[in-house]
Amino acid sequence: MDRFGSVILVAGLACFAFAFLLSGLYPYMITDHAVPAATIEDLASYVPADFKALKDAYPVSFAQRFSQAEAALTPRELVSLDASDPRRGQSEAAWQAAYAEALIQGRNLYISEVCWHCHSQYVRPVANESLRFGPVLTSDHDNNVLQQPVLWGTRRVGPDLTHEGRLRSNDWHVAHFFNPAEVTPGSIMPRYTWFYREGWQVMRRIDPGKADRTGLDPERAYGYPGVWETKAEAEAAMAQIKASLPSTLAGEAERMFVAEAEGPSSDLLSLIAYVQWLGTWTPPHLEQAQ
Amino acid sequence: MTSTTLPLPGDDAHEEAHAEASAAVLVCKPLVKWHFTFAMFFMLTSMTAGFLVSLQFLDLYPFQGIRWLQYGRVRLMHTNEIAYGFLVNAFIGALYYAVPRLTGRRVASHGLGWIILVVWQFLMFATSIGQMLGFGQAVEWGETPTGFLPGTFHLVYIPVDFLIEFGAVLLAIQFLTPIAKAMHSKMYVSLWYISAGIVWLILTYVMGNTLPEWTLNGSSGAATAGLFIHDLVGLFVTPMGWGLMYFFVPIILRAPIWSHALSVIGFWALAFFYPLNGVHHFLLSSIPMSVQYGAVISTMAVEIVVTTVVVNFFATMWGKGHALRTNLPIRWFYTGMVFYFITCLQCFFHTTLSVQEIIHFTDWVPGHAHLVMLGVFAFWCIGIITWLWPRLTGNDWYSRRLNHWQYWLTMIGLFIMFVDLLAAGLMHGFMAKSLVPWMDIVRALRPYWEVRTFAGGMILLGQILFVWNLFQTTRHSKPYDYRVDLVDPEAA
Repeated sequence: MDRFGSVILVAGLACFAFAFLLSGLYPYMITDHAVPAATIEDLASYVPADFKALKDAYPVSFAQRFSQAEAALTPRELVSLDASDPRRGQSEAAWQAAYAEALIQGRNLYISEVCWHCHSQYVRPVANESLRFGPVLTSDHDNNVLQQPVLWGTRRVGPDLTHEGRLRSNDWHVAHFFNPAEVTPGSIMPRYTWFYREGWQVMRRIDPGKADRTGLDPERAYGYPGVWETKAEAEAAMAQIKASLPSTLAGEAERMFVAEAEGPSSDLLSLIAYVQWLGTWTPPHLEQAQ
Repeated sequence: MTSTTLPLPGDDAHEEAHAEASAAVLVCKPLVKWHFTFAMFFMLTSMTAGFLVSLQFLDLYPFQGIRWLQYGRVRLMHTNEIAYGFLVNAFIGALYYAVPRLTGRRVASHGLGWIILVVWQFLMFATSIGQMLGFGQAVEWGETPTGFLPGTFHLVYIPVDFLIEFGAVLLAIQFLTPIAKAMHSKMYVSLWYISAGIVWLILTYVMGNTLPEWTLNGSSGAATAGLFIHDLVGLFVTPMGWGLMYFFVPIILRAPIWSHALSVIGFWALAFFYPLNGVHHFLLSSIPMSVQYGAVISTMAVEIVVTTVVVNFFATMWGKGHALRTNLPIRWFYTGMVFYFITCLQCFFHTTLSVQEIIHFTDWVPGHAHLVMLGVFAFWCIGIITWLWPRLTGNDWYSRRLNHWQYWLTMIGLFIMFVDLLAAGLMHGFMAKSLVPWMDIVRALRPYWEVRTFAGGMILLGQILFVWNLFQTTRHSKPYDYRVDLVDPEAA
């Protein structure tokens, strides 16, 4: 190649390299380079109560996704165990493993459903954004494995989700993903109906005599947690519930029945766990500084 | 204008005949034609996708509840098909015409050309199908599937990204071979742009599709992702576009470019300043402020570069302004250049932090992006296709009137969309700053979104007319006499 041509090639490559150095490598060197990125084990070291509540509320879907579900015991289940029971010790480790799995899967769903195109994940220190969405975060907050690839986003068709975690209940999210416009009138968010599966659920009508006191509708049936795949499983679950009823509530058994129902799939539980996690994690070295 | 018995031959007609003869020897016309055909196919699918997703904003989205046609995934198809399906195909097609004529040599291999054609279309279909199945990756403008689960090496789909890299290397072999052979003679500026664009595409794609996925996270990942977004537009699409303009404008106007010195300044200023802009996609974030200020300043510098290039082109047209009226390709090109100037002027202001405060995260940005991708580069590609199609098929236009309909529908539609989204962006930004409840902002924006859908319909209709016209032109053999499209038949 002619010398002039080589000069062009080298100069062109140099421009590219210079830009990469200045706006790619340099910001890395002065921020994330200093602190090791948080691994998923770091992020899942503390398992919040709202994640544990997912097992209570949606036991069947939970067990379908998380192999650790058997050993991970909710506070309600722990109460019935002896203090010396070895399952107590195993419980927290199982929760951490399940939570780590949920966060990764939830983040992957957040990417594959392209949530990041309409929801941003960074609050700017201008335009009153910290009043609306919460505190501005440092680069250390995002130096974790769930921000790889980065999910900051560049457009807010919907609100920023930096601090969405624990802002709303799990049930709110279950209802909202099914039909956002029903929960938030006027919402243009798409419906994520494929995150719900059909099955069989144990239902019960309330005692008509107590309708006044509870404020519940005696004509409507209310479901027990868990949407089972088959009718037989649901009936087995119903038998178990009936067997565990205290004698004072024996009358309840008559109003129980099994019916077709719809509930969140295990995918949705992961996605909710991820959304409920957003903004709840602070790097340890910043936590000590506070 | 439709008469075929013009007073000829003059110099222009003679030269044109000579050019046609040399094109017949050097250019593989079927390759050009097939790349243009696929370009038009992806343009229609992309614009249909764009039109459909705009309906989501009006609660009218027809595929609600179907996972693989879900709003977010179809939106990915809209941007990726226009960038990689339409623009890249149209650029490759135009390069098959321009590079041999600029270098006086054939491309490396026509057999390789057919392989590239097939590989590229396969990758485009793999991209769109992958995105419908949920494998789009989370890097803006680079949502082509890596094939791996995010952040792991667990392969779940065709690794499209790496195959695109392979395709880009094939492109480099194809077009850099004749350019390298011609390097001993004085290189025209088009070839600078084209060779640089191809090499930069390879580098940019490697950077943007490895670092944010597997190594960098959080703010440094964002800095690299921003760099990728901008390098893809600035170091591939822009050099290709300008390189082709430096070729097609002088040969259609039959006038030398006004200043070669200015064109070289424009090239090196682009090479230096454009890649430094990347971080301006994430301003006011936790990326170090020094880097952000650097990006703001170099973004402003780009505007000066752009001005030199635009001045050069308008000076080239000096005395031939009537071509805008009589010659449709020239009209597409120069409308694109005016839009390019507007886009970059817009950049100059909205990259400043005080304007960013309001317009970032709003519809202003899609408005800006539509002006760049459609108003500039798609306009240029359409202009090139309009100029080349009768020459490729040998058939005269089925209907020139339809071409004019396409121009006005697209131009007016785009302008409406641009102004509408700008206004919507300002509304959104100021309402957000004033802490208006979120749902009130959504309600207030609805009229703007209605206008946007209407404007999108106009643009889509324009392209449908164009594709129909191309199809009918190919089918009806009506011998084409290139003399009817000369800019100055009388002056010769």
